[in-house]
Amino acid sequence: MTLIPHTETDAAYVIRNAAAQGTRLSLCGGNSRVGFGNPVEGAEAMSSRGLSGIVDYEPAEMVMTARAGTPVAEIEAALAANRQMMAFEPMDHRGIMGTSGEPTIGGVFAANVSGPRRFVAGAARDSLLGIRFVNGQGQVIRAGGRVMKNVTGLDLVKLLAGSHGTLGFLTEVTFRVLPVPQSIETIVISGLDDAAAARAMASALSLPVEVSGAAHLPQTVKGRFVGGALPEGEATVLRLEGLAASVAVRAEKLAAVMKAFGPVSRLGQDKSVTLWREIRDVHPYADGTQKPLWRVSVAPSIGHQLVAALRLEAGVDAFYDWQGGLIWMRMEADPEAELLRRYIKALGGGHATLMRASEQVRAVTPAFEPQPDAVAALSARVKQKLDPAGIFSPGKMAGAL
Amino acid sequence: MQTNFTLEQLADPHVAESEKILRRCVHCGFCTATCPTYVTLGNELDSPRGRIYLIKDMLENGRPADEEVVTHIDRCLSCLACVTTCPSGVDYMHLVDHARIHIEKTYRRPLMDRLIRGLLAAVLPYPARFRAAVVFAKLGRPFVPILKRVPALKPLGAMLDLAPASIARPSDAATPGTRAPQAERRGRVAILSGCAQPVLDPGINEATLRLLSRLGIEVVVPEGEGCCGALVHHMGREEPALDFARRNVDVWIREIDNGGLDAIIITASGCGTTIKDYGHMLRLDPAYAEKAAKVSALAKDITEYLSVLDLPKLEPKRLNVAYHSACSMQHGQKITLAPKNLLKVAGFTVRDPAEGHLCCGSAGTYNILQPEISGQLKARKVRNIEATKPDVIATGNIGCITQIATGTAIPILHTVELLDWAYGGPQPQKLSAR
Amino acid sequence: MSEAIEFLPPRPAVLSRRTAIIADLTDLLPAECVIHEARELVPFETDAFISYRRLPLAVVLPKTTAQVAAVMKYCHRYGVPVVPRGAGTSLSGGAIPQEDAIVLGLSKMSRILEVDYANRTATVQAGVTNLNISEAVGVDGFFYAPDPSSQLACTIGGNIGMNSGGAHCLKYGVTTNNLLGVKMVLVDGTVVDLGGKHLDSAGYDLLGLVCGSEGQLGIVTEATVRLIAKPEGARPVLFGFETSEEAGACVTDIIGSGVIPVAIEFMDKPAIEICEAFAHAGYPLDVGALLIVEVEGSEAEMEATLASVVEIARRHGVKTVRESQSAAEAALIWKGRKSAFGATGRIADYICMDGTVPLGKLSYVLKKTSEITDSFGLRVANVFHAGDGNMHPLILFNANDPEDAAKAEAAGNEILKLCVDAGGCLTGEHGVGIEKRDLMRHQYSDADLAQQMAVRSAFDEGWILNPSKVFPLDGRPAA
Ligand SMILES: Cc1cc2nc3c(=O)[nH]c(=O)nc-3n(C[C@H](O)[C@H](O)[C@H](O)COP(=O)(O)OP(=O)(O)OC[C@H]3O[C@@H](n4cnc5c(N)ncnc54)[C@H](O)[C@@H]3O)c2cc1C
Ligand SMILES: Cc1cc2nc3c(=O)[nH]c(=O)nc-3n(C[C@H](O)[C@H](O)[C@H](O)COP(=O)(O)OP(=O)(O)OC[C@H]3O[C@@H](n4cnc5c(N)ncnc54)[C@H](O)[C@@H]3O)c2cc1C
Ligand code: SF4
Ligand code: SF4
Repeated sequence: MTLIPHTETDAAYVIRNAAAQGTRLSLCGGNSRVGFGNPVEGAEAMSSRGLSGIVDYEPAEMVMTARAGTPVAEIEAALAANRQMMAFEPMDHRGIMGTSGEPTIGGVFAANVSGPRRFVAGAARDSLLGIRFVNGQGQVIRAGGRVMKNVTGLDLVKLLAGSHGTLGFLTEVTFRVLPVPQSIETIVISGLDDAAAARAMASALSLPVEVSGAAHLPQTVKGRFVGGALPEGEATVLRLEGLAASVAVRAEKLAAVMKAFGPVSRLGQDKSVTLWREIRDVHPYADGTQKPLWRVSVAPSIGHQLVAALRLEAGVDAFYDWQGGLIWMRMEADPEAELLRRYIKALGGGHATLMRASEQVRAVTPAFEPQPDAVAALSARVKQKLDPAGIFSPGKMAGAL
Repeated sequence: MQTNFTLEQLADPHVAESEKILRRCVHCGFCTATCPTYVTLGNELDSPRGRIYLIKDMLENGRPADEEVVTHIDRCLSCLACVTTCPSGVDYMHLVDHARIHIEKTYRRPLMDRLIRGLLAAVLPYPARFRAAVVFAKLGRPFVPILKRVPALKPLGAMLDLAPASIARPSDAATPGTRAPQAERRGRVAILSGCAQPVLDPGINEATLRLLSRLGIEVVVPEGEGCCGALVHHMGREEPALDFARRNVDVWIREIDNGGLDAIIITASGCGTTIKDYGHMLRLDPAYAEKAAKVSALAKDITEYLSVLDLPKLEPKRLNVAYHSACSMQHGQKITLAPKNLLKVAGFTVRDPAEGHLCCGSAGTYNILQPEISGQLKARKVRNIEATKPDVIATGNIGCITQIATGTAIPILHTVELLDWAYGGPQPQKLSAR
Repeated sequence: MSEAIEFLPPRPAVLSRRTAIIADLTDLLPAECVIHEARELVPFETDAFISYRRLPLAVVLPKTTAQVAAVMKYCHRYGVPVVPRGAGTSLSGGAIPQEDAIVLGLSKMSRILEVDYANRTATVQAGVTNLNISEAVGVDGFFYAPDPSSQLACTIGGNIGMNSGGAHCLKYGVTTNNLLGVKMVLVDGTVVDLGGKHLDSAGYDLLGLVCGSEGQLGIVTEATVRLIAKPEGARPVLFGFETSEEAGACVTDIIGSGVIPVAIEFMDKPAIEICEAFAHAGYPLDVGALLIVEVEGSEAEMEATLASVVEIARRHGVKTVRESQSAAEAALIWKGRKSAFGATGRIADYICMDGTVPLGKLSYVLKKTSEITDSFGLRVANVFHAGDGNMHPLILFNANDPEDAAKAEAAGNEILKLCVDAGGCLTGEHGVGIEKRDLMRHQYSDADLAQQMAVRSAFDEGWILNPSKVFPLDGRPAA
């Protein structure tokens, strides 16, 4: 049975009781990601679904406040009506997870999601201005506010973003939104291998043309994007957004430089929208399987080296969301967690998160990158300060977290 | 910022002036970033803001100077980069002048330090003595490595290092008298011969005389003129400095009265900064205040003066000139564009080295008294200059020329030497040697 | 000197061991890295919030992370408070020491360690100045985006301490949005790496927590920051208005229209006069308020953005519109703006407020602010980052007149409360320091503060890192 409080006060009450009795709670929103993180024994589910609705939306100030359980769809609709958007492009991961719940805005921030605009527009954490949450002692805490610039005290907002329901139960979030770009265009360079693509993307991103998305789609996945409409060969794709006139000029410039790398073609508005949504949602791996799926975050320039190294030892398929700072990797059979994490370390560091795998695999594979001892100890102390009784899904992230 | 002075203390005009300066400082710290010693040593005590605070504390408490304060004030180059940077208009120059006088009056330096300073003050300002010293220096050169090993003697080693290897040929550029122009007369100026420059590099004023003559300017080398006083002024020796100033004021006022002067031309920006400050230095001397102000108003760097003469534009030459702006030029006198524009008009390609605001470490006698910091700054300066791949380096101050020349093989000239050459003078020797 | 804000009483156990502590520090570090002579400590007694001053016990200026670690290990063991210091440009007293504290200055750690264009990152030591980073990568067409007006002098370590912002943060975000990783020495001397060249954290976002923690969670010794390709062009445009209210309303409308310039800076008449006197940037002197709006991108883009902005400004009765004609002129316009605080020193002492308000409240808060300063008989100059509602009223006073100084402080407190009451916050970018510490309860409940303090304790159980700052002295967790 899932606990669904309908007021913040109720939530605080439930949590206070749980803390007193040592009952573990597994916090969720729409539960669209059932099966993520390390399995937690004997936890009772508690959802924010009952705390729903947009509280305040000032399009002129580009700020929205919503209760944590508000469906993402509702928020996106309200924003779209004002031609605004969440700049960090929250992904719909129901495809890859094979789940069907209704994603909530609280879940988006609790998972600190981000998309292909990550490098330029930040992740969910960067848009989150203020929160209300209930800590592990059942106290309602407010952090941050509703203005863009705010350095008043410790930034608990960042801490709670990406804490995956292990530090507190979000009840309300206030976040920044941006205007939807007037126009989108994509430059496609065809036929580059992974290494050449890395060079091409690095060069594109150092030009003054404001590339807002860069991805490399190798032959194995390319055909699954935009209904197979991408040209012959591997596709290295670069997104430009903004005022129509400006996008046109920048596209010319970018295309001119990219010609040196390979044949260049372009995708217009509609196909571009589809393409980048599919990249965001990891469309090729929304394949209805349980094949282990990794979300790997490393310095962009080592991405292809990592994949090349792994290929020698394991069955791996991958594509690169460069501006998202990510490699999405699907393993053929074994998740190869140790191998993967060893190579990441050897190549300069980063982290790998297991997004999907069968029950058996998840039971034995740490979903989050294990942290060095000192950082793990520090994180455990932080958790202890927010959730002294250890009731919020202990162990879900790693060790005590 | 807040200050704490008693009315009694404020009765002293020096203190009163310093108090005014201190009040303007808002402790924003901007000046630290462009201070060569802070950038080199990374200690706020060796930054303008730190020094201002040390001086404030010393003056407020009416304390004699002590070793700590002296150490950090001595390390100041008086480059005045901080004055250029300061948004609040803090007159650090006159504050540190006052502090140096206070130090000189209230602090007894260790013996060796006193001797070296005494030696510098007794020799450098006097061309004849300096010439003799250079001959001596040649004899002393073999001892440099030994001297450098004894901390108290390091300055001596530095001194010998800097002395020119050969003595300049005698020149009549400094001989008193009036030079009638070759072209139709357009103006009349006096030129400062100064003290060290005629010994180290008489070619600079020779070039100036030739160029001005061709441009129709009558030039006077007045009888009785001498060191501008900067050398001793920066050591905090107030009275000798004022004496030098008074003597020069007398000489120039005499010239102004007999025949008039359009300008007093200075070819060493270090001296220029001081002469332009005579009006302030002598403000408390009723007999001289007015005359000194008049002299300061007429003082012009040679490039400043040439800029208003509208020199004709010449064909581009294939010569890259790295322009090094002396601190006394850019920070002391705020002359930044004139020299570069003149060079460009004369057809040279001008390059701006990075970190142009940083001192080369010469700073009067600084390279002798603080050889280590000076050496680091020199290396940094040379690195930045060489990065622009110049054929020649131009600058407007003899101190910088001597300093930078010991760090690079690229020839370094005074701006006016290049201009003289471009406008019909002989090719400078340093260039023909290549 | 003002006395309204208290510091923690010095720990007697530390003061009584002063000689031993200095001797021990001298063993740990090279001689030129330890400062302890009374006279030499004086210049470290304050930062850019000069109304308050405290002499430290000693100052250390380590040159390596290992030396920082050795100092921290020692101070942790003996319970000696440590106040980290970058360039000491804090406007909230963040770097002001206390009698029983060691100042740990990062000024000798000022090397740029690595520039990695392929990944668009730079890794630098904490004492590198903000501007140094942009200068180092400028020739290759990159820059580091957050640009506090103090960028010439302030260090990246201090920027992280205060999560500093600047004019161009409207588009590019503040420090926390541009910081990828740090090397940090924990209170007990352990060295940890948080983040790196990759994005986001594998576990909790400790990096996000450290950014803006005012030196209370550890000593940052290295930072990895994001570099951004310079736009093709950038152009500041001056918009002069009759009144501050008109200018304020115009800002709200520009943002509301969805056109987001890179920067919108505001100056009122007193500020215009002050800045023009220093920079000679050609600011119009016949207007009551000025907006500097910067647009960037290709020529086409700048034209288009500018056209929409001009259109909006016209609706608000703009008097003069002046585009900068050259790079040199643009540089002067920014130089004037960035020198504003310092240049104010030409006419008076000042304290600088830093509250942020929702954009819709800008005009209202501006009006109220002058009412408040008027009621105290004080003058005020306003120059601030308007695009994100981050106000900087400069309250002018005479520091040699204690009564005036007290009035300025009181007026400042009222203005900050006004910002909070208008739905904003106490500080947008300068940090809480000591200045706003005792106002924290106006913005947060006891539980909110207790939670923050508990998290702080997770890093520093004994509260030895910069202990007098940020959190009100009463109601702290027992050590
Ligand atoms: C590990 C992980 C990584 C992800 N990475 C990305 C990504 O990189 N890009 C992307 O676009 N999408 C990503 N997602 C998807 C993202 O989580 C969903 O878009 C969003 O979480 C859906 O909301 P939900 O209501 O279904 O959340 P749920 O699936 O119910 O929960 C998601 C997470 O948030 C926590 N949570 C939910 N509500 C609350 C609350 N009120 N208080 C506290 N914690 C709460 C849960 O404990 C859980 O850890 C990721 C999801 C997970 C689980
Ligand atoms: C004229 C002027 C204009 C300014 N304009 C702006 C502006 O536009 N935007 C803005 O945001 N700020 C501005 N400031 C404020 C100030 O410059 C910033 O807060 C700056 O980030 C401080 O940097 P600093 O190196 O001087 O740090 P300090 O002042 O020395 O320290 C600041 C804080 O950080 C801590 N700290 C410093 N270094 C470290 C480290 N390595 N590890 C851990 N903690 C550390 C200190 O303990 C202190 O709490 C301005 C200041 C002045 C004087
Ligand atoms: S820049 Fe000027 S006002 Fe600022 S600290 Fe230096 S001297 Fe003082
Ligand atoms: S004069 Fe030069 S060396 Fe002296 S404090 Fe100023 S900037 Fe530093």
